[in-house]
Amino acid sequence: MVKRPSDDLALCGECHQEIAATYKKSLHYTTIGQRNRVVKRMSKEETKIFDEKVFEKSCRSCHATCGDCHVKSPSIGGVSVGLISKHKFVRRDEGKTCAFCHGGRVYPEYTGEYGGNADVHYQKGMMCMECHTADEVHGDGKAYALKEEVRDRPRCTDCHEPGRETKLTAQVAHLKHSQTASCFACHSAGEYRNCYDCHLGGGSQAKPGFFLGTSPRNHKEITTLRIIPTVRDSFKPAGIQQANFDALPNYWDSPIHNIRKRTERTRNCDTCHEERKGFLTMETLLKNSSRTNLELIHKTKSIPVSK
Amino acid sequence: MIKTKMKIMVGLLALLLLLPAAAFAADTVVSTDWLVANQSKVIVVDIRKVEDYNSGHVPGAVNVFYGVWAIQKAGLLNELPADDDLRDIISATGIEPATNVVVVGTIATWADKVNITRVAWTLKYAGVANIAILDGGFEKWVADKKPISKDAVKPKAKPYRGAFNKAILVNKAYVLASIGKATIVDDREPDFYSGAKKLEFVARPGHIKGAVNLPVYAIYNADGTFKPMAELEAMAKKAVGEDKSREIIVYCDSGRFASAWWYLLSETFSYKNVKVYDGSVQDFAKDPSAPLEP
Repeated sequence: MVKRPSDDLALCGECHQEIAATYKKSLHYTTIGQRNRVVKRMSKEETKIFDEKVFEKSCRSCHATCGDCHVKSPSIGGVSVGLISKHKFVRRDEGKTCAFCHGGRVYPEYTGEYGGNADVHYQKGMMCMECHTADEVHGDGKAYALKEEVRDRPRCTDCHEPGRETKLTAQVAHLKHSQTASCFACHSAGEYRNCYDCHLGGGSQAKPGFFLGTSPRNHKEITTLRIIPTVRDSFKPAGIQQANFDALPNYWDSPIHNIRKRTERTRNCDTCHEERKGFLTMETLLKNSSRTNLELIHKTKSIPVSK
Repeated sequence: MIKTKMKIMVGLLALLLLLPAAAFAADTVVSTDWLVANQSKVIVVDIRKVEDYNSGHVPGAVNVFYGVWAIQKAGLLNELPADDDLRDIISATGIEPATNVVVVGTIATWADKVNITRVAWTLKYAGVANIAILDGGFEKWVADKKPISKDAVKPKAKPYRGAFNKAILVNKAYVLASIGKATIVDDREPDFYSGAKKLEFVARPGHIKGAVNLPVYAIYNADGTFKPMAELEAMAKKAVGEDKSREIIVYCDSGRFASAWWYLLSETFSYKNVKVYDGSVQDFAKDPSAPLEP
């Protein structure tokens, strides 16, 4: 018996030639995005060790075959719900496929099972592929190094065109913040999952948190940040010290999937501008973390609206 | 003379308007057969996860997942959404204050079972008058081989303008003031009532001073259907008495199990003044001065 028959994309490609060709280069198949980000913390020699000892043996095992999404739920940590619909091929069943690989953070946040506030899009019955198209999932044929390079990723404004708000207050708020805050900064409902201390001794720990700060990828924008659990000795067992650890922050801008129309920030400007609730500060910054994190601390302007 | 005739006509009209509500209210826990027969007169709200709904549901049912109706707020696990959010949620379903609503959920776990009554309570709080729940949940619907649809229903939204029935929700201050006056019902298992056990998120063991125990677990049969109503009513009378006008406050650990006995007492057995303390012991026990007893 072949363990993962569709791992050989040529097999599915006999009929689905175009999809197999683009999928071969997609980030879901190559998982190269995971590697390309973390190796920026490493020297050339360390990268070589990482590729051999960590990426190929560990990270790459997470890549999805055609069958992982169309026949059998993917196996995560050895756990799978098995065949999706007996032995039939299914076009899509996000709850049994996407939800498994993205089930640590994104999916339970989306349903509200983690954090306690279901995303308004889930409330309206929308599943993953209502926003994330087949082209995005299968790839467009270009071998992207990181997911942020993919041009046709979903944007809130694809559906929610600015200027078409029914309430004047919403229109003004959007206009004022359009260049300075991401949609998530105001519309993320609240706490989401953050993992700490990955690979450090007994593995990572997760707890809920909510962090606002300057986006590490767009210094003009405030957004929701998620902790990256890589610590200084994450790869120590493989002999990697991460010579350039401070080249990257320990927080990435993250499109949190727990969107609500109203949040404490949309209800009251003072939440950000006076109370600075949720904003990273020197006091709340991770201890012994990357020095680049300091760039993420943002000081909001005081505009005491409610007074 | 004309005035008298007018009065009689207005009275008769009011009676006619009330009739559908009264007929609907007679079946607060409805069977699958009842739902098949009355489907055209109700909006079915399926509170299971979207993916479960998509793989099969009662034909015509609208889907709003449980997690939308009860949210985590201020460190408490099962709280009502803000009133304006709740209005939006109901508006999106097309439900109006006089709509007949049947709530359908899964009965896979104990929490799932009481999610159904919790949503019924939430709708009642929002001012929807006619609520029923499907006995045995969607599993019973499948077991009884009733028709199943995979067509997701996109309801026609209508602005919901119902008057909120805030009296059925109480907070800690209200409960503290009600000790010794109202009948307080703890509907957790006896070991939790006695304080022998407690859940991790509950700060202190024990029950609210003076509370009586009426466990939720006694309500259901093994297949998730309700036990005979006469049996449940006898159980209720034994715990809370027969005075239907006496104020009763039901609580549990985090406010969702409490909805099960609230539903039976208030909606099925016609106790007139039943309230839910949705912060429940999770909220109460945080206050070191709030009286808990073994």
